[in-house]
Amino acid sequence: MSLIQTENLTKTYGSGETAVTALDHVGIQVKEGEFVAVMGPSGCGKSTLLHLLGGLDRPSEGGVSIDGTAIADMKDDDLTKLRRKRIGFVFQFYNLIPVLTAVENAALPVTLDGVKPAEAKNRAAEWLTRFGLGDRLASRPDQLSGGQQQRVAVARALVSEPALILADEPTGNLDTRSGDEIASLLRQVTKEYGRTVVMVTHDPRIAAYADRIIFLKDGKVVDETQLDRKGAAEKIANKIKEIGD
Amino acid sequence: MSVRFAILGLLAQKPRHGYELRAAFEAVVGGDANWAVKPAQIYTTLERLEEAGLVERSSDLGEGDEPSRRVYAITSSGYAALKEWFAQGVTPDHQRDEFFVKLMTALVSGEGRLDRIIQTQRAHLFQDLHAATSLRDSYNPRKELAQILLLDKAVMHLEADLRWLDIAEMRVEEVKGQPLPEPEIRRRGRPHKVITDSVDPPGKTVIHRK
Amino acid sequence: MNLQLTLAWRYLNGRRLRTFLTTLAVVFGVMLIFGMNIILPTMLEAFQANIMAAGNLVDVTVTHKSGSGFPMAVAHELDGIAGIRAASASLERTVNLPADFVDGNPSKPDGITALGLIGVDPEAAQSLHAYLVQVPGRFLQQGDTNAAVISQTLADAYGVKLGAMIKVPSVSGTETLTVVGILPPRTLPGNEEVLVTLSQAQTMTGQSGQINTIEVALTTTDETLRNQTVTSIESALGNEYQVGALQSGSEMFASIKMGQAAFNMFGVLALFMGGFIIFNTFRTVVAERRRDIGMLRALGAKRGTITGMILVEGLLQGLIGSGVGLLLGYLFAAGIVRLMQQPLSAFIRLTLGRPVVSPTLVINSILIGVGITVLAGLIPASTASKITPMDALRPSVAEVEYKRRAGAGFIAGLVMIGLALLALASGNMSLISVGGLLFLLGLILVAPVLLRPIVFVFGRLTALVYARQGTGDLAQGNLTRQPSRVTITASATMIGLAIVVALGGMSTSLNGMMSRVLHKSLGSDYLFIPPSVSIWNSDMGAGSGFTDRLKAIPGIGDISTLRFAASTFNGQAISLLGINPVTYPKVGGLDFKQGDESAYTALANGRNMIVNGAFLMSIPVKVGDSIELATPNGPQTYTIVANASDLLNAKVVTAFISQANLAADFGRTDDLFIQMNLKPGVTLDSVDAQIKAVAADYPQFTVIAGKAYIDQMMQLLSAVFIGMYFMLAFLAFPSLIAMLNTLAINVLERTREIGMIRAVGGTRKQIRRMVVAEALLLASVGTAFGIFSGMYLGYVIVKALGVLFPMEYSFPLAGVLAGIAIGLLFGALAAVIPARQAARLQVVEALRYE
Repeated sequence: MSLIQTENLTKTYGSGETAVTALDHVGIQVKEGEFVAVMGPSGCGKSTLLHLLGGLDRPSEGGVSIDGTAIADMKDDDLTKLRRKRIGFVFQFYNLIPVLTAVENAALPVTLDGVKPAEAKNRAAEWLTRFGLGDRLASRPDQLSGGQQQRVAVARALVSEPALILADEPTGNLDTRSGDEIASLLRQVTKEYGRTVVMVTHDPRIAAYADRIIFLKDGKVVDETQLDRKGAAEKIANKIKEIGD
Repeated sequence: MSVRFAILGLLAQKPRHGYELRAAFEAVVGGDANWAVKPAQIYTTLERLEEAGLVERSSDLGEGDEPSRRVYAITSSGYAALKEWFAQGVTPDHQRDEFFVKLMTALVSGEGRLDRIIQTQRAHLFQDLHAATSLRDSYNPRKELAQILLLDKAVMHLEADLRWLDIAEMRVEEVKGQPLPEPEIRRRGRPHKVITDSVDPPGKTVIHRK
Repeated sequence: MNLQLTLAWRYLNGRRLRTFLTTLAVVFGVMLIFGMNIILPTMLEAFQANIMAAGNLVDVTVTHKSGSGFPMAVAHELDGIAGIRAASASLERTVNLPADFVDGNPSKPDGITALGLIGVDPEAAQSLHAYLVQVPGRFLQQGDTNAAVISQTLADAYGVKLGAMIKVPSVSGTETLTVVGILPPRTLPGNEEVLVTLSQAQTMTGQSGQINTIEVALTTTDETLRNQTVTSIESALGNEYQVGALQSGSEMFASIKMGQAAFNMFGVLALFMGGFIIFNTFRTVVAERRRDIGMLRALGAKRGTITGMILVEGLLQGLIGSGVGLLLGYLFAAGIVRLMQQPLSAFIRLTLGRPVVSPTLVINSILIGVGITVLAGLIPASTASKITPMDALRPSVAEVEYKRRAGAGFIAGLVMIGLALLALASGNMSLISVGGLLFLLGLILVAPVLLRPIVFVFGRLTALVYARQGTGDLAQGNLTRQPSRVTITASATMIGLAIVVALGGMSTSLNGMMSRVLHKSLGSDYLFIPPSVSIWNSDMGAGSGFTDRLKAIPGIGDISTLRFAASTFNGQAISLLGINPVTYPKVGGLDFKQGDESAYTALANGRNMIVNGAFLMSIPVKVGDSIELATPNGPQTYTIVANASDLLNAKVVTAFISQANLAADFGRTDDLFIQMNLKPGVTLDSVDAQIKAVAADYPQFTVIAGKAYIDQMMQLLSAVFIGMYFMLAFLAFPSLIAMLNTLAINVLERTREIGMIRAVGGTRKQIRRMVVAEALLLASVGTAFGIFSGMYLGYVIVKALGVLFPMEYSFPLAGVLAGIAIGLLFGALAAVIPARQAARLQVVEALRYE
């Protein structure tokens, strides 16, 4: 069953002459446990798609359903609650609250949900430890490297045990190595912890971590590619042996 | 070329005999699956190195019944050559590309849909990239560094190919509807003519092709 | 800890300097309100202690509602009421003493400034009070004449021993009394008492056959029985009498209340500024944290959570600020009380005690401080709650929203200004005052739109000044890009200066009016002034013998006197002044607002009265109405014939009636204040010696030639105005903080930009100049607005005060000049710290700043 389903999803900014269609009747499905990358040139509407999926923005036309619930017409407070419980976000600029420690930041969604601070911190600490930040729990964001900050952000996205993680250019602000680590972490999130991840990126190397890539262009889906191809691994394995004279 | 200097490097570590050198070399490149060298190639290379005065040979009595083996050691000019090799950059060679020919052929012949061809290639490259990434992440970084480095290299090349594909796609789109350059008969001498295709609106996109 | 609290605390802690500056504004407002409200009750307390340091075994005190004396026979009404152990009729009078009356030593400050003259029936009094007369010596006896019992302290002050004579002011000048007994030294502060026989007191005060207090001791301590007895007393005496505390001193209360209101206004204005600064800071905070807030929203924080977070921050600052404000306020009050003692005793004869702090005041101050902080945070908090999760991703969307809001604000502001102008036209004082506040608010709202062209004009000027450095343009650009923030800073300056200019205008106008009224109402050639002007009840007047002797001096023309009686209407204390309708207009005169001089004639015919502005403000009546005034002989109906004021009584609820009516209804015939003209052609020198000789027998009066008195009053006024300007400086101070705050925040916000300018080759000097130019621009804009609105506000205040005193608005040139100077000076001052801060930024760090 699809966790996410969109139908004729359209988003138009402005009106009349100056109207810009960011998304044009997009219909996509994402299965539970799937890792999907959304790619396309800048301005193709990939971030808009992600915002609509997360209920951060309202569609002009069409609808999004998450787990069978249509979110287009939900009230702000209900939408807020849905985000809190069912969706985790990871952004390009980490967006950690500068005055809170790593564990406090990671615990935010559950703290906001009314879980007792001590309990919330325990849960957050668990995720941070899984992500190799067990010794940095009490550090402030400015004491962490970019990669570490983004790992805190991923932990934050996971702490409320949401089914869906939405990542907007999660590696856009990181160096190659840290970027790979975060992408690998997101893959681990789908494979080991069974979450669904939709990630917007313009970096092919990062997109390759996904199970499937949705290509957007001018607000439309132009192609979808399943990345698992039979025989690809052997071919690559052989290819790298061609280093001799 | 690489084998020659790899042998020099291995001898710089310590004097070795031919058989040992071959095993050490294969360990360096990540196993005989990656690069299997024949014993003959090792010995030929050693002989050439010796002629060039970069290594010297001594004999070494085998233990017990083993026959005596020729043991090689690096000379001071060998060290110098090795140092010089380390000091130089290498221009890699990966311009041989079937897809390039496919793309150009499609362009010239007018057969096949260019955008589909590019998208198919893109999907294919992404699948390769996915496979390379997964493969690399399955190796142990402590024990299998050579494999990981080689796969990193493959990953980066694939990434470069994908980026090139994006550029190619854009360029192809830009020249759509423009007459294609006829093959010109080359004269002797250096080509110095610059063809400028101006795509309207003027000044927006200018393509210089040599 | 609660998440909101954690976040609020961490954020505040993270920006300590800003938190400090913002909180300072709250501290300041609370300090003023708290301090001022400590000082005035302390004065009240002192006053009460002085007036009412009476009775030890006394359970119930009976006085007349009007506060005046009543016939001795009334005391017999209490005979036979069950539960009364003893009752003592007395005539008590606080007598203010002229300077150096007791010690006769001008070089030493007076220890004793007032005496309580108490006439008692010796036997009855001793059944209520334990008089521990030292041996040898005795208490008063029935039939004693010119005998007094005083305390050891007073005896020491007079420097007398048992059997010696002391002088006490009386209606016939001074009375010499023999000390027949000395009581132990007083332990409690308060007025020294001189105990005499009842008949002696009646002679000395000119109230023969009258008493003003009956002290009653009850037989039981049982609450129910006591209440029964009190009820019986009340029904026996009728509703003309008050059973309980003394009513005297209500005029003083009125004066003090008036002062308290004025000071509270300062406090409220200071807090208004404080609220403003906080509003400004929070707005910046919200803008700064747009991304954090958007993130919280994306993570599932509800709007309420965000609003709460900002409000909790306000609450924290409010609590801390109020706490510190309370502490400083107390110290401030204690300091002022100490400083005030000396100048105050020159005007009102009081000894101040320790500062009085009531729990209600503490709670109110905290409520006001915290309330304003939270209130100021409301709009930014609601703005914050409207931040969408999208803002976490695209932080630039924000600007648009502010602009739209500014548009709505412009219209609201115009409406407010319109309403303020309408209120001004209505002529109703309370509407006008509300209008003044509306006007200020309206101006703040309108400012963003008006500001652009103004910034542009001032910007061109500054750009010219700094043309060579190329920084003027940059500064101007920075300001026009952020109109709403600039508006707020400029508004803070504006409010500060508006107040300076407004009060400048007010004081210029007031000064002009004062000297006019002074010359009119006190323009006589000679004045005989009692120790406390306008607190008539505690002055010892003079009988007709005094004026008779003055009249006998050749060359003396008209004499006009003021007599006093206290009365009430519906519980409101009224100060009744008896004037001679014929001589008063010749020697002094009232300033008429409604009616004219013909009203004097009306006073002579029947029970008519002229009332002042304060009267009409406190009692809902108008000219032409008749009201019943409480008198010792039952209520009497008086008709209001005119509305007019004199200077001395302007702030007290006062009615002028004829001296004939005052004698008939209130039994008071003593003159408290005497004005006298010389016959034409007679010089001061020729009569001066004779007048002084007569006056020497009445030491409670200070003799002053009218012109000298006016000079003295004007001097006093300017002292008051200096005090006022001091307060103004205090008010201008928060506006400095506001500017400093905005500029500092401004620099913080543009850290990256400044780093960029430095990276592309801007020198430290150029950066510094840019920031200073910006500050000067802000200051100029604020100053321009402030002066403009200050002149309007001043006009409004003058109009409003016009209800008490008719006066003309005069242009406050000095105030405007001071305003410009202060504005620009503050602008430059406020720029110093941020400019240095900006110049010191490390390029690399600045560029990395998020």
